[in-house]
Amino acid sequence: MSYCVNCGVELGKDLKRCPLCGTLVINPNEVEREPELPFFPQRQERIEPVSKRELALLLSVMFASVAVSCGLLNLALRPEVRWWLYAAGGAAMLWIWFVPPLLWRDMSALAKVALDIGAVALYVLLIAVASDGMNWYTGLALPLIAALAIITLVICYLLRGGRRSNLMSIVICLIGIGLMSLLTELTIDFYFSSHWNPSWSLIVLAVCVGFSMPLIIIRLVPSLREETRRRFHL
Amino acid sequence: MPHRKVSWYKMDNASIMYSSLQKEEYSAIYRFSAVMRDKVQPEALQRAIDKVMPRFPGFRSRIKKGVFWYYFEPNKAPGPFLKEDVAEPCRPVRFNEDNHWLVRFYYYDRRISVEVFHAISDGAGTISFMRCLLAQYLRETGVDIPCTEGIQNIEEKSSAEEWEDAYSKYAVKHCKAQPLVRRAYQNIGTPERFYTFNVTMGFMPVDKLKARAKSLGVSITDYLCGALMYVLMEKQRSERPIREKPVALSVPVNLRAYFPTKTMRNFILTVQPWIDPSLGDYSFEEVVGLVHHYMRIHCSPNEMRAAFSRNVRFQNNKFLKIVPRILKNPIMAISYKLKGTRPYSAIMTNPGVFKVPQEMEPYIEHMEVIQGQATVPRPHLASMSYGNIMEITFSGTMKEAELERAFFTFLVKDGIPVHIESNRQRPNRAEGGK
Repeated sequence: MSYCVNCGVELGKDLKRCPLCGTLVINPNEVEREPELPFFPQRQERIEPVSKRELALLLSVMFASVAVSCGLLNLALRPEVRWWLYAAGGAAMLWIWFVPPLLWRDMSALAKVALDIGAVALYVLLIAVASDGMNWYTGLALPLIAALAIITLVICYLLRGGRRSNLMSIVICLIGIGLMSLLTELTIDFYFSSHWNPSWSLIVLAVCVGFSMPLIIIRLVPSLREETRRRFHL
Repeated sequence: MPHRKVSWYKMDNASIMYSSLQKEEYSAIYRFSAVMRDKVQPEALQRAIDKVMPRFPGFRSRIKKGVFWYYFEPNKAPGPFLKEDVAEPCRPVRFNEDNHWLVRFYYYDRRISVEVFHAISDGAGTISFMRCLLAQYLRETGVDIPCTEGIQNIEEKSSAEEWEDAYSKYAVKHCKAQPLVRRAYQNIGTPERFYTFNVTMGFMPVDKLKARAKSLGVSITDYLCGALMYVLMEKQRSERPIREKPVALSVPVNLRAYFPTKTMRNFILTVQPWIDPSLGDYSFEEVVGLVHHYMRIHCSPNEMRAAFSRNVRFQNNKFLKIVPRILKNPIMAISYKLKGTRPYSAIMTNPGVFKVPQEMEPYIEHMEVIQGQATVPRPHLASMSYGNIMEITFSGTMKEAELERAFFTFLVKDGIPVHIESNRQRPNRAEGGK
């Protein structure tokens, strides 16, 4: 019988390492012998996760029936307007939001966000096509959605796994908001007047940067961090 | 369930909660094991199961999904069948699998294990069942065991009192919620892969534990709770949080000691001893003293009755009765997170001493108890004694073993020798996070 030199506990005969600290069990007085039956059973019983296919199928049928029902209704109610396309597009967007994550459970958060924003872009494209608005789609909606996608994905990537401190998470979000406002105004200006005339977005960006800089300094200087905790009773 | 033929029966309020919380990654399963002196004879054990199960109709039930609530129905399926034990104990229950059984039987070398879904019975009920099963198993192997020390006669029919809903029986109009810490230190670690369940057991002599507890003027449960709270407090401090949160335990109390009943269904309530480390340093003696006095003050029949009466009132609420079950489940899950997970750092349960007739004693080496996984990746602690062996189990889906190490090394430093066994080094153990 051996003891862990680190923890002081007596260890089971079949243990090669201390289960509490991982220290190797080396007892020069114990000669190598045939291993005894382990204390705990070793038989693995593979349990498959519950399949979500049924739920995915149910949701798919629900969204498909909404699209088909709206299509049939459209034939009877105001057939001159293709309003069913909006309902069907909405159902398709919801399908992309909810069904693929059920079928591929290992899908990463980044992939989910990219897929969701892609679905929004497609839905807006459908609206643009149905209302002859490809002009505003390519000039306004698509750049805005692309900017939103890039900024959201970068923020998600930087904050993944909750590894950032609260202060740095706030700073990253603030800078993201500032950049998004800048890109929004840039896109709107180019669409309506073909040249960039920055105004309100610079104020938003300045406010975001203005709040971020002190937070970065507080995060980097331990004495300031401690002082802030004390002052704000954190 | 009464002895007369019934086609279904209602759940008590603890069963409702455990059934509602049931999901793929979680269900409230616990395990009692008896390690015998000799190798287990599977055929004799299966015969014992077949003979004992009819005496305990509550264990022969299955859960059905009603429109408004879950309910129990007698399970007429074949079984339950004895299986060879598996490396991962306390796997969550799926209501529609394994012939709908909510109880499982395993054997391994000298160990006999029973796993029970908490909706059908609490620890005290299952201990009674286990005692009867072991007695019958020994009879099947040729040993004469009398029906004493709480061993039920399997020839007799179960009485209605054994399956009554004791919560409803003792509930009163005047009810009051227990005062709870809103958010305690959570002690959450890195989750293991799907269905990887880590178990670490510590064995120690009861006499030494009792002597140490006595020197502090407390019971063994108070001493173990105090030690756990003390190491949790130290662990939180080592993590250097911005503000230290209270360290609180959930300690189930067997209400049968306060409200006489023969029920084998759930009849427990948890109390919450806690300390607030942000108020300053506590010595171990102070922590143990606080736990001891907290338990004495709050384990009063009036306070506990007021607390479970509130749960019964919730169950009987006319508005809630007409809310469909599918809507109730998420509400129960949120409620459990707020009232059953956040206010606690760990669960510490001590079903106590496993007593058997003198004739059985030479055949049992020791007893083991394992709590099933928590809703979050943190270890829970369960302890049980038989003869002079106290067994303490840490179980959970957390990769790190820091709390176990801190707890057992604390006991060693406090003069109690500890022997460790663990399944953490099993072959094919899954690596990597969930």
